[in-house]
Amino acid sequence: MAIALPRVFRTTPFRLTLLFLTVFAASASIFLGYIYVATAGEVTSRADQAITQEIQSLTGVYRQGGVKALNRSMVERAAGDRPFLYLLRDKTGQKVTGSLEASPVEGVIGAPSSVNFNVTDTDPDGAEIRHSARGQQVRLDGGEILFVAADVSAAESFVLEILRAIWGAGALVILLGLAGGIVISRNVNETMAGLNRVVLAVQGGHIAARVKLRGVNDEFDELASGLNDMLDRLERSMGGLRHVGDAIAHDLRSPLSRLRARLELALIEAEAGKGNAQAALVQALEDADAVLATFNAVLAITRLQSAVEAPDQVQFDPGDLAAGVAELYEPLCEDKAIEFKLEATPALAVRGNREFIAQALANILDNAVKYTPQGGAVRLRVRRRASGEVEFSVTDTGLGVPEPDRPRVVQRFVRLENSRSQPGAGLGLSLVAAVAEAHGGRLELDEGPGTLDGSGPGLRVALVLPRLG
Amino acid sequence: MIFGLVRGNSGQPVDPAGGHMRILIVEDDVDAAGAMARCLSETGIETVHAADGLLGLAAAQMGGFHVLVVDRMMPNMDGLTLVETLRREGDQTPVLFLSALGEIDDRVAGLKAGGDDYLVKPYAFAELSARVEALARRRETGSVQTMIKVGDLEMDLIGRVVHRQGNQIDLQPREFQLLEYLMRHAGQSVTRTMLLEKVWEYHFDPQTNVIDVHISRLRAKIDKGFDHPMLQTVRGAGYRLEV
Repeated sequence: MAIALPRVFRTTPFRLTLLFLTVFAASASIFLGYIYVATAGEVTSRADQAITQEIQSLTGVYRQGGVKALNRSMVERAAGDRPFLYLLRDKTGQKVTGSLEASPVEGVIGAPSSVNFNVTDTDPDGAEIRHSARGQQVRLDGGEILFVAADVSAAESFVLEILRAIWGAGALVILLGLAGGIVISRNVNETMAGLNRVVLAVQGGHIAARVKLRGVNDEFDELASGLNDMLDRLERSMGGLRHVGDAIAHDLRSPLSRLRARLELALIEAEAGKGNAQAALVQALEDADAVLATFNAVLAITRLQSAVEAPDQVQFDPGDLAAGVAELYEPLCEDKAIEFKLEATPALAVRGNREFIAQALANILDNAVKYTPQGGAVRLRVRRRASGEVEFSVTDTGLGVPEPDRPRVVQRFVRLENSRSQPGAGLGLSLVAAVAEAHGGRLELDEGPGTLDGSGPGLRVALVLPRLG
Repeated sequence: MIFGLVRGNSGQPVDPAGGHMRILIVEDDVDAAGAMARCLSETGIETVHAADGLLGLAAAQMGGFHVLVVDRMMPNMDGLTLVETLRREGDQTPVLFLSALGEIDDRVAGLKAGGDDYLVKPYAFAELSARVEALARRRETGSVQTMIKVGDLEMDLIGRVVHRQGNQIDLQPREFQLLEYLMRHAGQSVTRTMLLEKVWEYHFDPQTNVIDVHISRLRAKIDKGFDHPMLQTVRGAGYRLEV
């Protein structure tokens, strides 16, 4: 059965803390275990060495002075501050002298091994205290058996103390680690909760929701500001979409209403047997075509805008492309007595979708011819800028666009007052801008060479494409 | 009117010279197909309708059609697969794709699959019938053509010169191409969009009718000073070069 843990225990930072603690505890245990083994081993080997030395020293005394000298030396030594215990027995095993009553072993046992045993003692209150001791036993030259032991309880309790300290430190480390994990988890959890709240709010339709930055520039702030940027863009494009929707509705409503009225009128008149049904149908067809043209243009623009980049890009000579489009428009200029010139730097190269760029160029030229009065001049230039970017620029001697209106004419369906008399839906430059953007380039609007009579600044429209590579 | 011999996959030879033009419409929108059939029958074209891709493939495999008009998106089998299958089987009947999709890559995909022309919905019937007619009369001549003659107008494709009634007419290169296209389709309506696509190779709609200006220039060169004009304007459709 799954146990529902409090949220803080399910967070990633807490889990990471646990993992870290486990690894840390395991390595600390190995480390401390090694210290314990090393310390304990050192303590016993020192005791054993001391016992061996004591036995050697006593054996020396025995060899020089016999049992008597040994006996005296043992008494002296037992009275001193050396913590040794002695037992000397004769050949038959009867105790001769010593501070011990019996030996824990029968045979000879010497360095490097010792025997462990316990001795009991009574403290001043009469309670029995157990001491652990280690001892070695030798048979002397005369057949006597000498047993020497050392009380190692002090050393042992020292080792035990180390062990206890190790356990305590381990527990403390784990406790502190857990506490730290909880604190970090809480902290991260709060930040994540803030992000989550925003995500849920956006899911619920509140696109304006934003994450509050903590201002510490950490990865959470980065994530939050990334999320905010994304939401900004989403909100803008949704706004744009709504604008397009409104604009389409607005722009299509009037021609559609006109179309409907015309058809209804034609029907009424046809039923009455009068009117010119054929003329009405021709008109209606024209209205329908205009609606479709607008619709197609908007579709093309939105598709370009939603594409990451223009499809089917190839490398080509922009001068060639400009010459092709110029050739298409040149007779139109001639008809309107507009002087048209193409100046292209030869052998340039750009990368892009030829069809879209040609269409963009056609739209710019179309506008230029439309808004340039008879006898004016239109010039199409293709050149490479110092930055390596390639620009197609078209200048005309029309009235131009007042500076405050320039950003506006690029928007969909925006038509300036003095252009209302001209045909068009106000989508031409929007498409050019969309084409520029889909190629990583941009559309620039400036003052042109000016009208011939000085009544206006003229217009310079430039489609700028990024440098190759 | 002389058509090339069209051979369907069934092996049944069809001689269009003996009869009228017969086309297959593969379109799942029955209303649209009906309207298309009515419009085409006005120009004397017989139509057969298949309501989905599989039926269309079966009908096309029977053979005997001059042109196949194929919708891109259909149930059971889409238009691209249908045409790819036919082409694999060696059927070379001209195909006009219809599609509600208008992007360039869609058109390229259609032409790659073996389509010969591409029309985006909604279209004018004049556009449809002009394109169907152009496809039907497209003749694959074994030998390379060196001269085109329409009435008293003669075009020398090698020398790149044009004569009318023996008088040489000076044309710009583009005007030459434009006239060549019109002459190859003499007697047929060709739309402005067709000219823009086939002569200029642009696939967008210019806001101003630039084609009209080019046509009137050409007209001034080939018709001015002659007793009867050859380059006619067809109302609601485009232009036609007539003898």
